[in-house]
Amino acid sequence: MNALPFSRRRALQSLACGFGQIALAGMASRSAEAAPAPLAPKPAGHKARAKRIIFLFMQGGVSHVDSFDHKPKLLAEDGRMLDFADLRSLAKSGKSPQQRVMKPLWNFAQHGQSGLWASDLFPETCMHMDKLCLIRSMHTEGIAHGPATLFLHTGTTTFVRPSMGAWISYGLGSENENLPAFVTISPSLGNGGPRNYGNAFLPPVFQGTAIGRAGVPAASATIGNLHSPRTPAEARRQFDLLRELNAEQLLQKPGDSELEAVISSYELAWRMQGSAPGVLGMEGESPETLALYGIGEKATDNFGRQCLLARRLCESGVRFVQVNYGDNTNNPAWDQHSNIKKHGDHALAVDRPVAGLLADLEQRGLLEDTIVWWGGEFGRTPYAEKNGTGRDHNPAGFSLWLAGGGFKAGTAYGETDEWGHHAVVNKVHMHDLHATLLHALGLDHEALTFRYAGRPFRLTDVYGRVVHDLFA
Amino acid sequence: MTLRSFTFAFFLAPLVVSGAEPATDFFEKKVRPLLVERCMECHSAEAKVKGGLRLDWREGWAKGGDSGPAIVPGNPEKSLLIEAVHYGNKDLQMPPKQRLSPQETDILKTWVEMGAPDPRTEAKEVKKQTGLSLTEGRKFWSYAPVQKPALPEVRAKDWPRSNLDHFLLARMEAAGVQPAPDAPLLPLVRRLYLNLVGLPPTQEQTEAFLKEAAQNRQAALARLTDVLLASPQFGETWGRHWLDVARFAESSGGGRTLLFKDAWRYRDYVIAAFNSDTPFPQFVREQVAGDLLPAATPADRRRHLAATAFLALGPTNYEEQDKQQLRFDVIDEQIETVGRAFLGQTLGCARCHDHKFDPVSQKDYYALAGVFASTRTLFNYTDNVARWITTPLPEEGPREAELKLHEERLAALRKQIDAAQTEATNAAKLVSSPTTKPGMPVAAAELQGIVLDDLEAKVVGVWKKSTFVRSFIGAGYLSDDNSGKGEKTITFTPTIPKAGRYEVRLAYTHADGRATNVRVNILHADGEDTVFVDQTQPPPLEGRFISLGKFRFEQDGAGYVLISNENTRGFVTVDALQLLEEGAPSNQRSEPANSKPDTLAKNKVKELEAAFKKLSKEGPVRDLTMAVADDDKILDAQLRIRGVERQRGETVPRGFLQVTFPQAPAALPPDSSGRVEMADWIASGENPLTARVQVNRVWNWLFGTGLVSTIDNFGTTGEKPTHPELLDYLAGRFMEEGGSWKTLIREIVLSRAWQQTAASPSATDPENRLFAHANRRRLDAEQIRDSILSVSGGLDRQLGGSNIAGAGDIDANNSSAQNIEYNYVYADFRRSVYTPAFRNKRLELFEVFDFGNINQTMGQRNSSTVAPQALFLLNHPFLLEQSKLAAEAALKTPASIQERIRAAYHQVLGRPPSPKETAICQRFVAGASAPEAEVWAQLYQMLFASLDFRYID
Repeated sequence: MNALPFSRRRALQSLACGFGQIALAGMASRSAEAAPAPLAPKPAGHKARAKRIIFLFMQGGVSHVDSFDHKPKLLAEDGRMLDFADLRSLAKSGKSPQQRVMKPLWNFAQHGQSGLWASDLFPETCMHMDKLCLIRSMHTEGIAHGPATLFLHTGTTTFVRPSMGAWISYGLGSENENLPAFVTISPSLGNGGPRNYGNAFLPPVFQGTAIGRAGVPAASATIGNLHSPRTPAEARRQFDLLRELNAEQLLQKPGDSELEAVISSYELAWRMQGSAPGVLGMEGESPETLALYGIGEKATDNFGRQCLLARRLCESGVRFVQVNYGDNTNNPAWDQHSNIKKHGDHALAVDRPVAGLLADLEQRGLLEDTIVWWGGEFGRTPYAEKNGTGRDHNPAGFSLWLAGGGFKAGTAYGETDEWGHHAVVNKVHMHDLHATLLHALGLDHEALTFRYAGRPFRLTDVYGRVVHDLFA
Repeated sequence: MTLRSFTFAFFLAPLVVSGAEPATDFFEKKVRPLLVERCMECHSAEAKVKGGLRLDWREGWAKGGDSGPAIVPGNPEKSLLIEAVHYGNKDLQMPPKQRLSPQETDILKTWVEMGAPDPRTEAKEVKKQTGLSLTEGRKFWSYAPVQKPALPEVRAKDWPRSNLDHFLLARMEAAGVQPAPDAPLLPLVRRLYLNLVGLPPTQEQTEAFLKEAAQNRQAALARLTDVLLASPQFGETWGRHWLDVARFAESSGGGRTLLFKDAWRYRDYVIAAFNSDTPFPQFVREQVAGDLLPAATPADRRRHLAATAFLALGPTNYEEQDKQQLRFDVIDEQIETVGRAFLGQTLGCARCHDHKFDPVSQKDYYALAGVFASTRTLFNYTDNVARWITTPLPEEGPREAELKLHEERLAALRKQIDAAQTEATNAAKLVSSPTTKPGMPVAAAELQGIVLDDLEAKVVGVWKKSTFVRSFIGAGYLSDDNSGKGEKTITFTPTIPKAGRYEVRLAYTHADGRATNVRVNILHADGEDTVFVDQTQPPPLEGRFISLGKFRFEQDGAGYVLISNENTRGFVTVDALQLLEEGAPSNQRSEPANSKPDTLAKNKVKELEAAFKKLSKEGPVRDLTMAVADDDKILDAQLRIRGVERQRGETVPRGFLQVTFPQAPAALPPDSSGRVEMADWIASGENPLTARVQVNRVWNWLFGTGLVSTIDNFGTTGEKPTHPELLDYLAGRFMEEGGSWKTLIREIVLSRAWQQTAASPSATDPENRLFAHANRRRLDAEQIRDSILSVSGGLDRQLGGSNIAGAGDIDANNSSAQNIEYNYVYADFRRSVYTPAFRNKRLELFEVFDFGNINQTMGQRNSSTVAPQALFLLNHPFLLEQSKLAAEAALKTPASIQERIRAAYHQVLGRPPSPKETAICQRFVAGASAPEAEVWAQLYQMLFASLDFRYID
């Protein structure tokens, strides 16, 4: 059953020198396909449409009825007290009190050639409407942030499972031996924290590498311990000493591939120390590019830097880059339980950088094989929370968009009900989105498995279906 | 029945009666293709059987799935299938992806009205994978009784030093493999120290040992082993191993992480259990059922209670909104942990279905679930963010008397407060004037702190402006006019200039006709609170405000105060909101003296409250621990179909895994959860799994791999033992010796096999499954950190106690405690077993060196070689600082360069340098331009980074 996984596992864990040689390890296990190797990703049954993903995570939950899901009924019925099956009340008490319909605070209009409806909450993003593949029928698990955020990243609200980026690095490896395959920029410590980019039971080489963290300016975000505190000459001299000491020690223990792997890990670290800071910096970016992302302007500087860094990492071969717009609190960023107007401040901070990223990826020809995924862990209710000025969480129906990577541009898929409360037509569950994104990368979500604790596991558990209609 | 369906029924019924053929015809032509095309992808034996429903034969829909029969022949109104395809019920819409066309829906409806004629009376078999039967299972090696094997014969009779050597040597001889020679003493003494106490020997310790070993090698090793087993560092090191098994952590992680402030008591319990060599059966009993055990002394009781935190330390998602689901998730985690930790079983699989490989049925799972469902782990099932149970701990003699006295005093005072409170409420009702303190209007700007007038609030519904009561702030106040109840709210959204705690005060005007229960919600950085304000009472502060409490807000964070007129009777008024930062200077907050009876009564309450606060602060504080308890209700659990909490099946009597019992065991007592019996079952000599699993753990911790290489999985999907007789021999010995860890460890480290020299993997046995040499093992995260600190002289050897800075003052169930975790600065240099073990923010060294995950039982850690480890050793401040300390200490003694190099090698690597190594280091020192201390710091650092430090030979 578990024939010889041990040697393979050990080989992968100890020989894969890290960021770097994941790809090699992946190839090694593929070439051993003949033997049933649990680590070997199953061969993709189809051609990949995309090579990488940039996930722009809008932590806290953007209100879809104020942004991408146009519901005229909310304007017509604004202020009425009506029966809605409020999920939080139902989970807690099995009952749901009447709720006050609340109209969107932003005006909706049609955009681009496609004529898709969206509000003026994200004016600059809307200028790229013809590039977007809107999904308006998302639904997911988890009513509170913690469970829903974990579900978004790992496909479960409760259990400790690998995050999607870890699965993708496991399936595809990295294209650059000096960089990790999975990077998350400025992640939050809250709502699952490291579990959202963790490898769980997958070998540690597949865990996400955090660059910076929420609350720390993106300008100072970097990979841990990348910078030597010594002068280049001193660092060189010291590293040469280590090389000599290790070479001498290795002579006494010939034929130990694990010790050799440690030595290569030092060589790789040394190379990274030389090359990675270049990728993480902004060198060589023209003033026009910086302006495109809103870098240098107060409102957009921070998220602009994160988006530009995402593009640079993608160019350097990183497979999955998550860009986080959030914070470490229990009511993160977009979580407007009151004063939904505050969505405007957040939109201001992300809109230009997001639009800039889309334009930049397109002008560099990267959008074809890069998927940009924009969205939160859930949406918000069409009615006011506790009859106040904000909206509560809504996992039953919400919107997000994908761009590039072979998805249909300038289209909208699926519908919520007339209020925007529940997804009803062509529903797409978060499991389905996971399956679809893996499919776009050439991975079969039912075949990308890892044997652990006596059984194979996958990102989508026993669920998920590929939404083929989303592909061009 | 609608007219239309009636018509159909009337029209079609004769067809059914007059002959089967037309009806079958209808099925064949219309219904079957439709079912095949739209339904059977998910509801047939050949594909999936979602929700337990099969539509590929008659019995399938007649019996139905989880929700019951899908079709009631002749009655579409009562047929779930018809309800589902009509998409009327949001929770039941089929097919889920694309709704059927109206024509298709009509076909199904017609068919049901016809009586659902269905010729498909033969079922295709569902290919269902099932685990071993109980009889087969009991024959599988791990479920079969432990045997008492005879010592095998060996040819090299002088090689074995202990019985276990016979088993290993016999296999080596059979395979034609020679055992490796005895390890040289220098690496062996380092190996022994690191394995038993987790620290390298000092040069003095090494030399003393060498001297003794020159007389008698084996006697010296035996003596040193006894010394190390008796040292308190043994418990710190081996306790740490068990803490991995117990997935020990000091915060919940997961969604909203909460701080396990008292979890250190469990950690100390485990360390003490190893140091005192608590017999394993007792160790199990204390952790699984400590709260239920008789205790001879308060100290025993304290120990027993602290041990039960084992059941409560999981990565629980306390924020889960469906609390029954949460309760069930906790039970699942407990079953999974008990299964892995004690029995090497993956029982979680059986939550949803019979185990597909192992002889564990879903009933077994729910038998165990009943035991934990009868156990209370959560404080209640109503809190928005749930919490665990903290239990007060008893003390000895005079200390206990002092505590009791103090608690009685507090209780008496509390009684007085309650009485005074009642009096104050009554007195207030007697005050007749509606405008007791008709203060004059005041401008918002004249008040302190952040003040928002009602004009600045978001108003929902029609509120009436008023200036009638003159004590208002700014431009009058608002009233709901006692109308439109439930439709009106006012929301203040203050901008918070600086993160911190603020007193939030609401201004209103009072009168007799006002509402007594005005709901105010405050959303702050730690969640949401609800306060009810009685507006018939005068505002107690300055005649204008009432304090809603003190709350923490983030700078520019989400925060609001929402006033609603829902469920109120009488007028609701809102005037303004004031936020006063805690600790900010105040000069206007004194209240005018007032001698009216209501004020007097209130002052008395305040005085008593102050006295209460003072007394609790000054008096002795009772220790608390995380613990579980038996629930008030002892209940057998209902099976959950497919593991879905709300889909209940049959009730399963509480019990344990059937495969481990040759005969059916006695029923569990009706008046206790059954955890005592569970512990006894786990630790019983009859249980085939427990001792095997534990001796294999010890073998793994000492050899680097187990006899069974899947340490936490002794099921059929795990690996088989390389030496089954040896495993049984050790398991038998362990039980004979009463479950003594120390006896087992001593026997192993004094064996010849353990003392073999380390070698690189051989081509013929790359995994060293014959144990024909010692495995070269890398230092784990704690060994790296503790060894470096030990060399640098920075190690703080304080034993036990809480080690989370700032945790002493907080309410652990307060979610703001999570900021202690998020902002934690790891500044202590105590042994790593005491390093705060947060789930969301780990010490970086731990994360980098494969100790980032403490969410589940981990009998064996990951072992990776990755570039971030190299970067850490090259550039992390910890390495730089400790290397500098080591260098500075070395430079205090005058010595030559060679002597210093020699000393550094002994300190860091436990051996002298070779001439070549001395030359390399000499060249490095001589060629340096940096200051001497810096050069030596660089040298020490590179020794810490070198292979020989990172590996144990």
